[in-house]
Amino acid sequence: MKVRPARARLNRYDRAAAAAVALMLVAAAAIFLYAPTDALQGPVQRIFYLHVSAAIAAYGAFAVVLVGGAIYLRNGSLVADRFARAGALVGLVFTTVTLVMGMLWAKPIWGTYWTWDARLTSTLVLWTIYAGYLLVRRLAEPGRQAARFAAVVGIFGFIDVPIVHFSVTWWQTQHPGPIIVNDALPPEMLATFFLTMACTLVLAAVMVVIRYRIETLADGALQTVAEHAPIVTAREPEAEPVN
Amino acid sequence: MTNSFAVAFAVARKDLRAEWRTRELVPALAQFVILALVIANFGFQIDARNAPSIAPGILWLVLVFAGLVAFGRAFAAEREQASLEALLMTPASPVAIFAGKAMAATLLLVGCEAVLLPALALFFGTPLSVQVVAAVFVATIGMASLGCLFAAMVARVRARELLLPLLTLPLWIPFIVAGGQAVQVAMGASGSYDQAMALLVDFDILFLVLTSLAARFVLDE
Repeated sequence: MKVRPARARLNRYDRAAAAAVALMLVAAAAIFLYAPTDALQGPVQRIFYLHVSAAIAAYGAFAVVLVGGAIYLRNGSLVADRFARAGALVGLVFTTVTLVMGMLWAKPIWGTYWTWDARLTSTLVLWTIYAGYLLVRRLAEPGRQAARFAAVVGIFGFIDVPIVHFSVTWWQTQHPGPIIVNDALPPEMLATFFLTMACTLVLAAVMVVIRYRIETLADGALQTVAEHAPIVTAREPEAEPVN
Repeated sequence: MTNSFAVAFAVARKDLRAEWRTRELVPALAQFVILALVIANFGFQIDARNAPSIAPGILWLVLVFAGLVAFGRAFAAEREQASLEALLMTPASPVAIFAGKAMAATLLLVGCEAVLLPALALFFGTPLSVQVVAAVFVATIGMASLGCLFAAMVARVRARELLLPLLTLPLWIPFIVAGGQAVQVAMGASGSYDQAMALLVDFDILFLVLTSLAARFVLDE
């Protein structure tokens, strides 16, 4: 086995991660230096840029879970399954970011961290579903069983969220509606938002790809262990010692 | 097609007969329901004035957790005697077998509701109207199809007692949203009962179709 030298050059995953971090710093500069301060809400409104971008990134990651799971159920593609696994973890991270930033924003504006609004409720449900997805992956037998069960959970989860969202929204709502498409933002804010969203999506994509690489290596390690481990299931009874 | 229905009914009949002979699950669930109502009584300060606003919440909480217990047991006998593999080795389609298991589990949960709803009316003085019964029953159909799907899934997974609630509860929430609304209206809150019931029926149809599509992947493992 070859040992890599300690001063190994950055591989392409390292470079991609560094680029994503640099892009996020650019977005942060735009949010804090370029975008104007909101007249009504003050500086806290700057949460908006990352809050909405993280939510969109999470939806994208969960779409990867849905498509990956569906492809896996169709033809058993390991690549699709690994992408689904990667998407679930990354989506969960971005959902957490969305929820936490939303709560921090809600406290000064709504006067409370949490309210049982349609958007908040369905996002929380989304979080629990994909946390369950990751638990299935951990608890089911690795391989075919885990992949199949998780694919089913991922598909049901993706369908459940719009249902929860719309069924709750028919009765009450507090979270603001889509303001991007309503043309309610000044151009500097709009530019900052689109820049932040693009950078966040790049970050999410890089995270999915790196996670995909980790899953591939983990699958390979599992394979190696399976090939080299002694077979212990069908041990024959030892012969009686003859005196 | 008729063959599939015959298989489903045969599986359901087998499960119900096993329950009738052992009489384990329904009495246990009935006792669970009564205990949950006792706990609710101490957890909330319930009197005649606030009962109509608290009782719907108690109803759904108790029903959801009783349902988890019931579906957790749905595949217990199969697991303990490894008979699911034998069932799946027969030429019967996995979907038909799943449908049979789901029908039996639904009926057992209805048996538990037959204790819960009168007990709720008796202890908290809320009306036991046709509207309440209809809402609970319509919600039960879709909840049971989902619950049974995940019960089949976790039957062969480690730590299944942990996983079943975590997977099932988020997907039951649509039923609780609409069913909660329907029962609240039936107990005197403002809102549209018909809209909530229409939503429940929609969810039933949607999840019945989805679970029957997914059953193949879960059972055929």
